[in-house]
Amino acid sequence: MMVGLEVHQQLATERKMYCDCPTNYQDVPPNTNVCPICTGMPGSKPLSPNEKAVDAAIELALMLGCKVVIDKPTYIQRKHYDYPDLPSGYQRTSLPIAVDGELQGVRIREVHLEEDPGQYDPTVGSVDFNRSGVPLVEIVTEPDMRSPEDARRFLRQLIRVLEFTGKVRPEAGGAMRTDVNISLEGGARVEVKNINSVKGAYKALKFEITRQKAKLGRGEAVVRETRAYLESQMITTSMRLKEMEEDYRYIPDPDIFPLVIDDAKVQNIREQMVEPPHLREQRLVEQYGIQQAAANVIVSERKFADLFEEVAKEVDPKLAAMWFRTKLKKVFNYMKLSAADIKFTPKQLITLLQMIQHHKVTPEQGELVLRELVKKPADPKELVQRLGLERIEWENLELAVKEAIRRNQKAVKDYLAGRKEALNFIAGKVMELTGGRADPREILKLLRAELLKKS
Amino acid sequence: MAEERHKEIERSAEEIVESFVKAAEGLPSEREMYYSQEAYNIVRPDGKPSSSEERTEFRKRFIKIMPAKDEDGNLRVEVAKWVK
Amino acid sequence: MGEVTKAKLDQLRSGELSPVENARRALERISKLNPKINAFIEVNNGAVAQAEALERKLKRGKRAGKLAGLAIGIKSNINVNGLRATCASRTLEDYVAAYDAEVVKRVLAEDGIVIGMNNMDEFACGSSGETSAFGVTDNPAAPGRIPGGSSSGGSAAIAAGMCDLCLGTDTGGSIRNPASHCGVVGVKPTYGLVPRQGLIDLGMSLDQIGPIAPDVYGAALLLEVIAGKNLNESVMLDVPKASYIDKLDGADIKGMKVGVSPQFVEITDSAVMNVIDKSIEALRDLGAEIVDVELPHIEEAMPAYYLIVSVEFFSATRKFDGRKYGKRIEDVCGDEVLRRILRGRYISQKEYRGKYYQRALQVRTIIRRELMAALEKVDVIVGPTVPKLPHKLGTKLTPMEMYAYDYLTIPANLAGICGGVVKAGEVDGIPVGLQVQGMVLGEEQVLRVMRAFEAVS
Repeated sequence: MMVGLEVHQQLATERKMYCDCPTNYQDVPPNTNVCPICTGMPGSKPLSPNEKAVDAAIELALMLGCKVVIDKPTYIQRKHYDYPDLPSGYQRTSLPIAVDGELQGVRIREVHLEEDPGQYDPTVGSVDFNRSGVPLVEIVTEPDMRSPEDARRFLRQLIRVLEFTGKVRPEAGGAMRTDVNISLEGGARVEVKNINSVKGAYKALKFEITRQKAKLGRGEAVVRETRAYLESQMITTSMRLKEMEEDYRYIPDPDIFPLVIDDAKVQNIREQMVEPPHLREQRLVEQYGIQQAAANVIVSERKFADLFEEVAKEVDPKLAAMWFRTKLKKVFNYMKLSAADIKFTPKQLITLLQMIQHHKVTPEQGELVLRELVKKPADPKELVQRLGLERIEWENLELAVKEAIRRNQKAVKDYLAGRKEALNFIAGKVMELTGGRADPREILKLLRAELLKKS
Repeated sequence: MAEERHKEIERSAEEIVESFVKAAEGLPSEREMYYSQEAYNIVRPDGKPSSSEERTEFRKRFIKIMPAKDEDGNLRVEVAKWVK
Repeated sequence: MGEVTKAKLDQLRSGELSPVENARRALERISKLNPKINAFIEVNNGAVAQAEALERKLKRGKRAGKLAGLAIGIKSNINVNGLRATCASRTLEDYVAAYDAEVVKRVLAEDGIVIGMNNMDEFACGSSGETSAFGVTDNPAAPGRIPGGSSSGGSAAIAAGMCDLCLGTDTGGSIRNPASHCGVVGVKPTYGLVPRQGLIDLGMSLDQIGPIAPDVYGAALLLEVIAGKNLNESVMLDVPKASYIDKLDGADIKGMKVGVSPQFVEITDSAVMNVIDKSIEALRDLGAEIVDVELPHIEEAMPAYYLIVSVEFFSATRKFDGRKYGKRIEDVCGDEVLRRILRGRYISQKEYRGKYYQRALQVRTIIRRELMAALEKVDVIVGPTVPKLPHKLGTKLTPMEMYAYDYLTIPANLAGICGGVVKAGEVDGIPVGLQVQGMVLGEEQVLRVMRAFEAVS
């Protein structure tokens, strides 16, 4: 089974795509937010395309990991077909503005700009043009989904990602519509239109699978056709639209100059946009060479990730990542804080991590300092002093080691006799003697060296 | 009758197309000229939409010339053939 | 010669003639002559009221706009709020325009009085004035012959003195052709100079609205009023307002380079060409330098045009489905309209688009390049407007024979350049117009040559 989706998402703009009518079509009586342009009156010409819609489409495409089509004319075309909700007998739809993206394992074939047609009630036979001309972005996937569950999961994730941008109209009855394409082994591709919700997509697919399997089971052919989903009955029905299968006779719209997107514009939008978690995670891995698991934890909160990137400028990123993933997260969780709540400055955290990186304090000592830092921010160097955590000088450590050996002869004998765990016992004694100011690893190293002399 | 006229007109429409093909035969390939001027990225900023006062007049006239309408101002058209 | 509009304006400005009186006289003249000439589909019953409002404004001490009460005819494919924009077709015979086209707004803002809606070829698909669903238009300058088209009504109205100025439209010659046949002045502006918001499309990349007038001054005046960028549409040149009339006084063409093409002679009847040759001589006498320019592919422009315009017209007419207004176009339209729709439908199909539509757009590039190259060498190109004299009304012509009228006017539309027509002379009493073509935004030079010629003819 192959399932592909064509998702139509309304963009959050105040004006329509090619005229200045308001876009709040659900709040007003029928045919109120209209003008000669969006009702296709004889002689009407479009205004220039809505810039915010164009920029939003580029941003959404970047969110979906697409390559934006740059330095080539992106024509706004006329797509001709006959339907009551299409006031001019054609829909203005752009060539792809971006291609080759991916979300959750589903490939995105392309993203382009469209305008919404009016609202046609096919059962009553009435048309309201309030919605006509509202900017849309169309997202077309490859048929990479394999089940209604796949489709549902994808759509939910897609909605999350789109809403994250703040550039789409919130999902409220029709801001997002989907056409689903499904083909079973041995059958042709069937397109189902008129789906207004994720649940609808799921139910439509389930119905189609049942319907198509039954047909194939009876030895009948599943023909290529366009069907409509009827929400109230949760079934699909053939639309028998010969005209809709006909050639759309695309031509560049002579009344609208083409768009040419350049790299500078894409970079500009990329810089301004809020990077979504799933993309930021990838970038952190690639840019800083850190582990996926660490990146995944870091992006769980935007400010946490912001803090990480600031720190990673001046501290070894791998060290920083390890600290963020483990100790920082642990301290925050323990104190029930989020990164937004912290009072210490990035500089202070950087100083602390640099001290750890350059072995000025042990990791264990660092964690103590961190807790203090979170509770009451101060210069880490001061905190280290105040807590008496400066690293012990080498001579004093040697003295402490020798002293611990002298005081714990029985343990020494045990160790030399082959009881390795006795070493840890002695090391513990050294820790006591040094007041925790020595790195346990160094204690062990020194102990081994000293005890070797004795053997 | 109408069918015949339709076919006759369709046939006569082809003459100039054939004439064009002949005329263009010797000519080189070129870029297509879709627009009289080279202009790109002519866009318009989003912003405050048109006021309802500006649109009430048009709405009145629009509804007035509708061949069929309902009392809410919807345009009335055919019911879809595939509706059960 | 060429003082009619100026004289009328002087009368209106001085108070010698009141706007209301001017409007009434126009309405009377229309009422008397229209039954025979059929230049108007609809008369504006609100014209006198408009004139009265202007008079009240003047009484309050306000200055009159540039048009100062002149009576203006509007071609029936331009939206005038409250009047029917029928496009001379049954499709829109009851369509009362729901808004004003931008050019109409500008005319009204300059105190022009809209006197009525001019007859035309159906949906501008014609060059004769015979295809209107509301009856043929006669040529007042050559009665019994076609006035030309598709701005047949406007040209006839000016020729018969039914109003002061008219707005026509030109896609393949539809202002210049009837201007030539009717012996009046017409100008097709540079593409993108005049707004098209509110003009019912024939070919979107080709259409321009332009003036039809009894003299060059009148045409320049009306052009000045309607030209200039409109923020409420997209495909326009970035030109603010323009001014033409102040440069017409004492128009001098000494030293101007005037191009003539040997290809014109090949295409045109000798009777017509004789008149044109004399005009060229007159230009030479005025001090212009006559230069030969080659336009080797000018003849190929015509078939290329008909493919392009058919595709664009097919697209433009998809909105006429009979649901929101009017009737479904294919159900009620005339033969030539249907012909273009079917042709456009055919050649815009996926499998034919490259071979026909896109190929025609390539030929368009060639034509444009040739004209641009010629206009680098000369200031204007002059020549005949139409290859043959207007035929008698009722003569049966094949579509190809009808298209042949357009050979000389089409190139300017394909290239997007400007072109104007002024009366050059007559053959057996039938007017012949001299066409003057100029480069993009070269209206000033074109009008100057036209005016200088008009002053001595």
